[in-house]
Amino acid sequence: MPAVRTSELQVVGRRIPKLDAPEKVTGQIAYADDLRMSGLLEGAILRSPHPHARILSIDVSAAERLPGVRAVIHAGNVQQSCFGYGNDNMPLKGDKVRFIGDEVAAVAAIDEEVAKRAIDLIHVEYEVLPAVFDPYEALEDASPCIHDELADVSGNVSMRWDFDHGDVDAAAERAAVVVEGRYSAPQAAPAPIETHVVIASFSPSGHLTVWSPVHMVFMYRKALADVLGLDWRKITVIQPPVGGSFGGKIDIDTHDFIAVMLAKHARRPVRLAMSREEEFIGTRTRQPIHFRLRTGADAEGNLLFRDAEVVSDNGAYNAWGSHAMLVAMNTITSMYRVPNSRIRCAVVYTNKNYGGSVRGFGNPQATFAVEQQMEELADALGMDPMDLRLRNANQSGDVTPQGMEITSCGLSECLEIVREQSGWDERRGTMRDRHRGLGAAAFIHVGGGARIYGSDGCGAIVKVEESGQVTLISGSSELGQGSETALAMIVAEEIGVPIESVQVVNSNTDIKPWDVGVHASRTTFVAGNAARMAAAAARDKILETAADLLEARPCDLRVRDGVVEVADEPERRIDFGRAVRRRLLREEGSVVMATAFYDPPTHHQDKEYRGNISAAYGFGAHVAEVEVDPGTGMVRLLNLWTAHDVGRAINPMSCEGQIEGGAAMGVGLALSEELVMFDGQIAAPNLHDYGLPTSVDVPRTVVNLVETIDPLGPFGAKGVGEGGIIPPPAAIANAIADATGVRPREYPMRPWKVKHWIDSEERSHVIAGKDASGHG
Amino acid sequence: MADVFIPGSIEEAVAFLADHPATAMPIAGGTDILVDTRTGRSRPERLVDLSGLRGFGGFELDGELLRLGALTRIRSIELDAELARRAAALVEAARVLGSVQIRTMATVGGNLCHATPSAEMPPALLVHEAVAEITGASGRYSTPLADFFVSPGRTILAPGDLLTAVRARVPSSTSGSCYLRQTVRWSMDLAGVGVAASVHVKEGAVSKASVALSAVAPVPMVVAGAEDAVVGTDLGSDVLAEAGRRAAQACAPISDARGTADYRREVVSVLVPRALRIAWLRATASWPEGSPAPANGVWTGMWTGELR
Amino acid sequence: MKVELTINGDDYACDVEPDLTLLSFLRDVLGLTGTKWGCLTGDCGACTVLVEGEPVVSCLQLACQVQGREVTTVEGLETADGLDEVQAAFVSNGASQCGFCTPGMVMSVEALLRTNSSPDEAEIREALAGNLCRCTGYSKIVDAVLQAAAQRRSAAGSSAGNVS
Repeated sequence: MPAVRTSELQVVGRRIPKLDAPEKVTGQIAYADDLRMSGLLEGAILRSPHPHARILSIDVSAAERLPGVRAVIHAGNVQQSCFGYGNDNMPLKGDKVRFIGDEVAAVAAIDEEVAKRAIDLIHVEYEVLPAVFDPYEALEDASPCIHDELADVSGNVSMRWDFDHGDVDAAAERAAVVVEGRYSAPQAAPAPIETHVVIASFSPSGHLTVWSPVHMVFMYRKALADVLGLDWRKITVIQPPVGGSFGGKIDIDTHDFIAVMLAKHARRPVRLAMSREEEFIGTRTRQPIHFRLRTGADAEGNLLFRDAEVVSDNGAYNAWGSHAMLVAMNTITSMYRVPNSRIRCAVVYTNKNYGGSVRGFGNPQATFAVEQQMEELADALGMDPMDLRLRNANQSGDVTPQGMEITSCGLSECLEIVREQSGWDERRGTMRDRHRGLGAAAFIHVGGGARIYGSDGCGAIVKVEESGQVTLISGSSELGQGSETALAMIVAEEIGVPIESVQVVNSNTDIKPWDVGVHASRTTFVAGNAARMAAAAARDKILETAADLLEARPCDLRVRDGVVEVADEPERRIDFGRAVRRRLLREEGSVVMATAFYDPPTHHQDKEYRGNISAAYGFGAHVAEVEVDPGTGMVRLLNLWTAHDVGRAINPMSCEGQIEGGAAMGVGLALSEELVMFDGQIAAPNLHDYGLPTSVDVPRTVVNLVETIDPLGPFGAKGVGEGGIIPPPAAIANAIADATGVRPREYPMRPWKVKHWIDSEERSHVIAGKDASGHG
Repeated sequence: MADVFIPGSIEEAVAFLADHPATAMPIAGGTDILVDTRTGRSRPERLVDLSGLRGFGGFELDGELLRLGALTRIRSIELDAELARRAAALVEAARVLGSVQIRTMATVGGNLCHATPSAEMPPALLVHEAVAEITGASGRYSTPLADFFVSPGRTILAPGDLLTAVRARVPSSTSGSCYLRQTVRWSMDLAGVGVAASVHVKEGAVSKASVALSAVAPVPMVVAGAEDAVVGTDLGSDVLAEAGRRAAQACAPISDARGTADYRREVVSVLVPRALRIAWLRATASWPEGSPAPANGVWTGMWTGELR
Repeated sequence: MKVELTINGDDYACDVEPDLTLLSFLRDVLGLTGTKWGCLTGDCGACTVLVEGEPVVSCLQLACQVQGREVTTVEGLETADGLDEVQAAFVSNGASQCGFCTPGMVMSVEALLRTNSSPDEAEIREALAGNLCRCTGYSKIVDAVLQAAAQRRSAAGSSAGNVS
């Protein structure tokens, strides 16, 4: 497609409110739990109270006898098969339960209260087994085996992610300075304000319709069919508006299967709504990851190597979380230019709620280690950390050791911007008497899709009505992040109509074309390119007709603000809608409709984890300023400056919204959010003990959008959905180090940990080279 | 499913509660009771809705005496300018309790009777020498608030007894008080440690003082030896540190998801001096009038010795 | 149990279960689903409505406790011209993303502006601490409140013929 000059853009680049905002601010939009339908039953799930136990028997007779109960299901009376990576999971467990919250039985009843009473009447006999909660203990030979049924899994290690590039040992010999440290990330949760709610209903002819706020609807449809033995030609998935996901609602989860099985048994529509407690206990989390990382550099500050041992504590089953290393690995090998790298990673089963896909997907965890070590290394070298970063920054044209081809890169510019705005050069290292400090962190993240399936594509249909209204039917869907509006803007720009003339349809698998789904910050890039291609094709059909009417050549025409005109003689013009009608309302007429499918020019990683999985990469840098109370360990985040390379901001207001919102989640990870567990039991599964940040905890975030105009992105745009969440834990840890002189080793940096580090004088560990004077 | 009884008078409420000692529970703002029933911590069969009873909401100041009706909303304490001057600890505790919505609904009586170890109102009232007024089946009686709490979730109230008001002493001009706490989030959080302090100053020295703690013992507590450490002094740093040490020794925290016992003890030794210091500044008119203290007692410039 | 109350200016008299919450009364009995729920324990504020102009979390309020009182929900905010100032400012500032917290958030803002016509940023953040938003990071919400407050002040000033 031709390059577009910014001055020519009519719609792209404007701050356009989200198309659905009026429905949202009035409460008129109907989320899954707002749907009302006749005969709807309420479902409830019986969950395991034990972290590890054998199921000896299940007696549901009393529950079945309770008036108002329409179905009681358990592994003994349903048709189901394995699912999950490595087929290690089952919707309803028949043999063993492996964490507190594991699904054992379920009920559908006339209302919630009857359903809950029926759950209480189910009697399950367990033989309690020894359980393991610490991933390092799970690696020991004597540890209980959590998946003894899986022949190809030895011990509790379900996967290894090992990577080698160059010669790390030789590089370590040469290094002037090597820093080493351990860094841990906790179990956290996506915690959208809307919990998971799913409704399943079979028509009398056996067609299944599921309403679920899931965002990989086509995978979801196939999984329902595969696991429950259904005909996937007779399944419709409808995605109601999503009340926040952040990855938590990405894909099929156990309760989705259970809702469908309940509907099948009850022969009535069933709603299964997770309570907030169940949302924490029984839906997917961000798994803890533990790093032992070494970084080395020569005396001039050129990075020589990174060496990482990683244990990913993925919990009881392998859902998406087992693959978070895919992204964490990118950061270890490719954040800055690192000539040699080595990773040894074990994904370990433990008797805990298991990891899913949460915004940033392994990257906040890895960046916490990598970017703290950059500042530790700089301090050991006697260099400014920003200078160290700039010296090693990735640049456009680089191909990283994993084969990631960087085609647009604003990392250096981002670093310079936050350096300047935060007063870094004058202020860092000077405020310790006031217990204040500055810390920085940058990130790299996929921004042009992520090829993890056969296709990384998305379909689009653009249909132009005889009224002149344009409908985009996109395979991709809206989660609240504003992608629907961005897609509409891309279509409006490409065709030449005002944004008010475009609507988006994207919620029904019967209607919309195939798409992988919303993940990996891919929607604006992949779905945007598909939408742009379909829009261009639809526009060309209209130009063809208009050319006849205006007696001009199509190539001499342009569309502006809904009017087709001859470019050099704008008085020769025809209304856009009229051209559509002239094409349609005649003998041998035709509708204006075009389809497109965009699959980015990327490659699967090979077995050695090399391959250009994304068509573009996003970059950014943050600086945090904190004040630490050494008495209580309470940390107040005073300022957060951010700069993100977004390629091009299709809608600057939405880009800022993604970055501000992502950063707030990152602040939560850094300072407060954690599912604190005792013996596998989440101590307090509620939003305040979990520590979801409030309006008082998050400061006003300064956002800078850096436009590098990616060669393949739609109008130059790259993905922006996940970047914001990645740097804050590392940047805030670095700021705490600057304020106090001690080095945070884990997050969340809750007050008692900070106080403990201060009181025990936790420091950086410099192995070789210069004396580690200074801070860090 | 619970039934709800709406009494027409306090006598009716008392009689109903006395008649159903095992199954009935009073409800006012509902912000604790309904959470408990939702999470299964309690399963009352009957709720006695006190929220409509007249004459138990609101507060009055009579000289040094503050009388708070049990149904006084936390929000009305938070917003009162006179209370901010006279009972700063109480207003500070009110300001940080839950959210605006919770404070609009929750009552002083409910916050006391629920007897949560980390509750905000008890320490703030304890340093103001609060006395609980109770109406029961056998009549009315009063008891020092310090004797009111028995264990987490339990008070001395017998079935049928209702807390109707709290009296507190809020001397003017030469006294000051303060409430500070340690939390994870900076708002909308429960205290990991809560500290209230009050001092009376006469001729440049402390003539009377009180320190109370929450979340560091099974019940809110007054620190017995704190006053001895500070009376007669002008609260120099050694004196403050000693008061902090005594409070840390006196408390009995546990380790849980909100922090370890050792950490909480440390924080007590840090927050007690800060709270006493701010109370002193208020008593000596050195603190901006009506201005609340930052939640953890650290104000901008504190580290460099500036006073706000 | 018989409950009579006014919702968004309309009088209702209904027989309800005694322990029914105001939230369930609104959503399940009356079908006013604009009020959302996110926790049912008072932590998220998605169910915030106004009772006699003051904000409450309707998940912790029994319907029978609002007997005879006036309740305002998000459905009661719109004016004859469409969105009210707060709603319009949320739209134009990008203060709503997934939108699930938005009705409760808007109600808390309405309550704030009734008691404080010119709140500063710190006051706004304190007033909204009981309304969790997972999408926006709050900055755009604060911007929306500042804008709505300014608009309301200027509208009040022009109608009263003076500027405070």
